[in-house]
Amino acid sequence: MEDLEIEKGSKLRFAFGNVLSLFILLLIGVLAFSIRLFSVIKYESVIHEFDPYFNYRVTQFLTKNGIYDFWNWFDDRTWYPLGRVIGGTVYPGLTLTAGTLWWILNSLNIPLSVETVCVFTAPIFSAFAAWATYLLTKEVKGTGAGLTAAVLLAMVPSYISRSVAGSYDNEAVAIFALIFTFYLYLKTLNTGSLFYATLNALSYFYMVCSWGGYTFIINLIPMHALLCIVTGRYSSRLYIAYAPLIVLGTLLASLVPVVGFNAVMTSEHFASFLVFIIIHVVALVYYIKGILTPKMFKVAVTLVVSVGMIVCFAMVAVLVALVASSPTKGWSGRSLSLLDPTYASKYIPIIASVSEHQPPTWPSYFMDINVLAFLVPAGIIACFLPLSDASSFVVLYIVTSVYFSGVMVRLMLVLAPAACILSGIALSEAFDVFTRSIKCQLPDLLSDPQPAAGDTASENSAVQNDIVKVDKHSTAQKSDEGLKERPSKKNRKKEKEHVEKVSVKARKEKRLLVLPLETSVIAILLLVLLGAFYVVHCVWAAAEAYSAPSIVLTSHSHDGLHVFDDFREAYAWLSHNTEVDDKVASWWDYGYQTTAMANRTVIVDNNTWNNTHIATVGTAMSSPEKAAWDIFDSLDVKYVLVVFGGLVGYPSDDINKFLWMVRIGGGVFPHIKEPDYLRDGQYRIDSQATPTMLNCLMYKLSYYRFVETDGKGFDRVRRTEIGKKHFKLTHFEEVFTTHHWMVRIYKLKSPKNRIRGKTKKSKLKTSTAAKLKKVDQGKKNPWH
Amino acid sequence: MSISLKLSLLFFFFIILISSLNLLQVNSESDSDRVAELLHLQSQSKSGVIHLDDRSLNRFITSARARSYSLVIFFDAFQLHDKQELHLKELRFEFDLVSSAFLSNNKDTPSQSKLFFCEIEFKESQQSFHLFGVNALPHIRHVGPQVDQLKDSEPMDQGDFARLADSMAEFVESKTKLTVGPIDRPPVVSKKQLGFLILAFLASAPFLVKRILVGDTLVHDPKVWLSLSVFVYFFSVSGAMHNIIRKMPMFMSDRNDPTKLVFFYQGSGMQLGAEGFAVGFLYTIVGLLLAFVTHILVHARSKKLQRVIMVFAIIVSFWSVKKVVYLDNWKTGYSIHGFWPSSWN
Repeated sequence: MEDLEIEKGSKLRFAFGNVLSLFILLLIGVLAFSIRLFSVIKYESVIHEFDPYFNYRVTQFLTKNGIYDFWNWFDDRTWYPLGRVIGGTVYPGLTLTAGTLWWILNSLNIPLSVETVCVFTAPIFSAFAAWATYLLTKEVKGTGAGLTAAVLLAMVPSYISRSVAGSYDNEAVAIFALIFTFYLYLKTLNTGSLFYATLNALSYFYMVCSWGGYTFIINLIPMHALLCIVTGRYSSRLYIAYAPLIVLGTLLASLVPVVGFNAVMTSEHFASFLVFIIIHVVALVYYIKGILTPKMFKVAVTLVVSVGMIVCFAMVAVLVALVASSPTKGWSGRSLSLLDPTYASKYIPIIASVSEHQPPTWPSYFMDINVLAFLVPAGIIACFLPLSDASSFVVLYIVTSVYFSGVMVRLMLVLAPAACILSGIALSEAFDVFTRSIKCQLPDLLSDPQPAAGDTASENSAVQNDIVKVDKHSTAQKSDEGLKERPSKKNRKKEKEHVEKVSVKARKEKRLLVLPLETSVIAILLLVLLGAFYVVHCVWAAAEAYSAPSIVLTSHSHDGLHVFDDFREAYAWLSHNTEVDDKVASWWDYGYQTTAMANRTVIVDNNTWNNTHIATVGTAMSSPEKAAWDIFDSLDVKYVLVVFGGLVGYPSDDINKFLWMVRIGGGVFPHIKEPDYLRDGQYRIDSQATPTMLNCLMYKLSYYRFVETDGKGFDRVRRTEIGKKHFKLTHFEEVFTTHHWMVRIYKLKSPKNRIRGKTKKSKLKTSTAAKLKKVDQGKKNPWH
Repeated sequence: MSISLKLSLLFFFFIILISSLNLLQVNSESDSDRVAELLHLQSQSKSGVIHLDDRSLNRFITSARARSYSLVIFFDAFQLHDKQELHLKELRFEFDLVSSAFLSNNKDTPSQSKLFFCEIEFKESQQSFHLFGVNALPHIRHVGPQVDQLKDSEPMDQGDFARLADSMAEFVESKTKLTVGPIDRPPVVSKKQLGFLILAFLASAPFLVKRILVGDTLVHDPKVWLSLSVFVYFFSVSGAMHNIIRKMPMFMSDRNDPTKLVFFYQGSGMQLGAEGFAVGFLYTIVGLLLAFVTHILVHARSKKLQRVIMVFAIIVSFWSVKKVVYLDNWKTGYSIHGFWPSSWN
């Protein structure tokens, strides 16, 4: 009778716990979603930056034309006159996900625009990622650690930086896919179920579709399998977790056009095949060990080992030969620079020059994972006590990712989930110990203030404490062990009754695992304080540091908030006032935005696959007007767009990027020489600037009529008066300048008539026309 | 290495002395004589790099109006060999490689006498440095057959030094229209060593496999893995990779007051070595203390011990976190603030 009641009680407790954790998870999802909405609240629902605009445009195409057209899409709006194959050169995961979301919503009669769906894809997937983190950590250390890790991941700044609303980029869905793939791997490892192994391969497929970072998975999982084998943890569960993933996963990965045969041809994947061979050899050894007597086995070992070694060596030799036959030893530059950190700075300046490929300093860690940096070591140690297959995987994950993040600041994104998982484990274990200490000692303190009562009190709480421990155990190691422990839980009351009869010896073994009460209270308070600091930091980072869409800018000054919406103004002007087939030239940074927002053909864009083409534009920008006109005319360019920040003080404008244009242009066309643009090695645009600088197209287009704004021509970014103030354009005419002068659009003049008298006349006309630019804004576009 | 270098240098001096004795009447020398002389000098040196000084340079270039050969000259300075950032020694070695590659690939062909690899040293040939107008090292120049004024000869681009021998060979090929051919680098381990290593591995493999199967190696000890992973963590969060890649010093002297040392650099894009390790230590110590308290201290028997250690851990952790927050705010200049309801103000 009593037993039944207790069983009922514990069942109720379990049910209550499950409902509670479900509710907490729901709240975590809401938190993950809503903390990323600062960009929408502070600005508006708009796609951010550069690359997301490309993804947005691809998604639009997908929703309009369907999947088959998307697969075969040849885009003639960029890289004019070359064009670009889109279907085979993008990771389609993000686009397909958002497209499917949009399609589902529309078929449910929820008419959202494609843009809205794209803007909110990243926050939605952050919530999924938090839930996936919960599942993963639960596999390692139980529900409590899982919930803690999930709440930490929901607001880790490093992940927020790539997944705020509007940041519609591959990483937004890829991090979810990464965590979920790891979860399924651990789940398979813990259960040995082929069902989860299949799911794991599918999840891996989704990851391959989404992000080039999938190579991290296909190297980490083999590493873990190898580690398990080497440390003598091989089991049939490991085999089921590993072998199907490699076979199915590789087959599926090669279905993605952008990966294709790379899945079997490049060195990034070879580790997995090598371990695949090894695991089979080991499996064979274990199988033979099982069917033979120990004596026979010893004889067989020598045989099998030698045969296995020969097979292994043959395969290794083939692999080495394959690898050695390719010039970079089959590794891509980026992977190589991870293995040998000094590689990039020595050999590939293009990779080394990108800011997100720089090695981080210590403040980057504090900015991106904040107080988690303090907690991770505790998590690592907790994973070693005791070491299980799952916890060893988590340790391997944190060690590799923290090393990689040390090489490239961009990979901090991969570190963040690992840091959350381990900090979650550390926090949960710490809370466990401290709350237990308080729970077991507080009642005694209240009921019996006598210090002499300590002994009996500790006896009572020892039993309680043990029960708590049993609880923990059973949740941590779910499967069969949990079932074994059940009877002990049933007998809890009985034990309590018989507590006096329990032998002294047993009591000594079940000593009280608690810490002093008052220090525990302080420790808990400090941990809560640490968590609060983390929340404040994350909210601040989400609101202030990572939410700027960089397409709309704001600035606070003493007379209030200023909004600079010049980019969209310019793109809208282009789309309304130019012919559909007009070509627009600008520096590559603005290529994606121009094609997506203005729907006009561009010469170069952010997918920098053709260096010569970029160098051509760079050369045109660095040349004098006539030469530039010739280059642009040969490319059928009709409009030239420059970004100019001198009036409002916007520092990342074209004049500041200009040296890169010169360098890249000079790399292909040697008549452009960087020293010609520098006065004594200094880049300047004031009266000391070199004549080449003052006569190049970029200077002229940026500063044309600039002196009319304040009479002096003071550039607020460079903090100096410009060198050449009054000049006229001969081959270009200004057609549009935005409100804050941030974007200026020029039209190429048609070639001059050769009759002398007429030339003079037309010159006069254009100069008056330029002054009256607002009156005459070009022909209307008949298509709009 | 340095001894053999010195010896060979002495040898060069000797040759040059002898050759310069009969240099006094060399002006009337014919082109073929000079080529023969150069070939002779070339054969004296192991890699085929000819050491020149002011006089021999004058003889082979300045006073020789019509030359049939071109020279590629490496500008060296012994006094700068200890400056790591110039990589002079390394580049000199690469120059040797290019030279010997050219020699081995063009042996007994007419192009062998078309191109010679030379070096001059700053201390003994200051005049030549001046004539070439070289005032920064590393520097490599190509003196073509038609060049009259030494300053007209073509220097190799500074950016090309990064790719070492390959770009030197490219430079030579583009200027002389001769082929250098594939460059043979001496392998890191020689073939014999490699064979020995493979043999040793094969011999020890059965023993290793046996030990692995039994489960009795260093890798089976979790403590090793634990300390390794904590170390990697410490190493990475301290930004040590940044220090290695950027070759940052551990500390530097203050610009305003050279006697003072600066350990902490203000500005988030850069850090000094000692600074990184200090903060990395603070990052790690808090976690280690927390783990110690939650996993080891609970097993301690004495309440007093527990209490003392916990108070110590709490104080150290609190101080570490506070210090890191303070340093971070100081270094980056960010001011992190909460978003409280406006009615609270």
